[in-house]
Amino acid sequence: MDWAVLWEYRAALAGGLAVTLEVSALAIVGATVVGVLVGCLRGTGSYLLQRLTATYTELLRNLPLIVKLFFLYFVIGLPALPAALAALVLHQSAYIADVTEAGLRSVGRGQLDAGLSLGLKRWQVYRRIILPQTVRVMLPPMTSQYVSVVKNTSVVALIGVTDLTFQTQQINVETFRGFEAATAVTLLYMLVAGVVIGGMTWLQRRQTVR
Amino acid sequence: MNVQVWIWRWLVTVVLGFGAWVTARLDWSRVAPSWEFLLLALGRSWWLALIAMAIGIVTAVPLALLRVYGTPWPRRLVALLIDAVRATPELMIIFWVYFTLPIVTGSQVSAWNAALGSLAVIASAYLAEVVRAGLYSVPDTQREAARALGLKSFAVFRLVVLPQALRNMLPALIAQLVSLFKTTSLVYAIGVMDFFRAVSVTNNAVYAPYPLYIVLAAGYFVSCWAITQVVRRCDPAYQLLD
Repeated sequence: MDWAVLWEYRAALAGGLAVTLEVSALAIVGATVVGVLVGCLRGTGSYLLQRLTATYTELLRNLPLIVKLFFLYFVIGLPALPAALAALVLHQSAYIADVTEAGLRSVGRGQLDAGLSLGLKRWQVYRRIILPQTVRVMLPPMTSQYVSVVKNTSVVALIGVTDLTFQTQQINVETFRGFEAATAVTLLYMLVAGVVIGGMTWLQRRQTVR
Repeated sequence: MNVQVWIWRWLVTVVLGFGAWVTARLDWSRVAPSWEFLLLALGRSWWLALIAMAIGIVTAVPLALLRVYGTPWPRRLVALLIDAVRATPELMIIFWVYFTLPIVTGSQVSAWNAALGSLAVIASAYLAEVVRAGLYSVPDTQREAARALGLKSFAVFRLVVLPQALRNMLPALIAQLVSLFKTTSLVYAIGVMDFFRAVSVTNNAVYAPYPLYIVLAAGYFVSCWAITQVVRRCDPAYQLLD
């Protein structure tokens, strides 16, 4: 075992971490926006929207991420980074849409009726009553969605995005020190996942009713 | 409402019709000779997912039992192991088993065994959580009532807790199979001839990306969708939704 190789490749690893962080952050934001939008449209009760959004989630949930990624990269011909981001957003937004829909449904209709009967306007009911409760319900499942995004970014190495996984393979090819590299990179992934979990726990604590 | 139903039906007809038209117009002659090779590879993907799932269940049950009923130290150790696997990207686990296990143990692992091993590790960690949730889903009163009736603790587990837990976790168990089946597409990276690799190899040989892409998407979609339908059949909550 030769851990010095990590120091030798510190620039590559730091670069890989930066790419992983960048792709993760952008994909998390994109997937949240698209997923919450699709989930809300699904909750509107319009038959057509419900069918369209259900098809969206069903189609995307039943295809492996790598199939979407290679489709966007090789068949559509997008550049590597946009293809990676689009694939990650498409993949995770399907799951986030389901989380959103479940969150909206968990805040029963009684809350809306009660708010309206108290004389609040509809938007006030949504803003003050439904939204805070939905967000509180959604935070724990969203945490695991975000950790999934971080983990799934490793797949983008397969189309040549120079993230952490890519650098591991690179180190393995150049020095045969795959074990040391994989150990370090796995710990880095856990660190990123830990930061995501920590951030979400902090949000959750802020949202708790005392 | 009724208008929307008709718009939806019209939309589905148009999209499916257009899809069928495009599919029929593609040049299938170069892909057709490989159908047996591709079908075999799809079977291999299924086989990989099913064996890994079977190994996963066998190891997940003791892990979950240790995590729920174990003494503090084994409990912490098992929790740490499960969380470590769940926090590591699937692709990294596959690389770990294939590239770094030989360095640690000194003996070469074949790509197929590495794929199977890594998928089994992934399956055990995730299934252990499913089993744990299943165990928690059985109310404590069930256990207490069984104890009060004079059953020994192992009999309580085998006759009262486990059957109810199994029934509660069946949907999540099968949902995990969908996820595992999708994960099999990643073993392509270490050179196993699964469905994904078979399609890309065929494409390299005959260059027909569009027909092959339809085959690829259809293969995965139909497989996963079929498993999802099984979940719907056995999950009463799903039936209420539809």
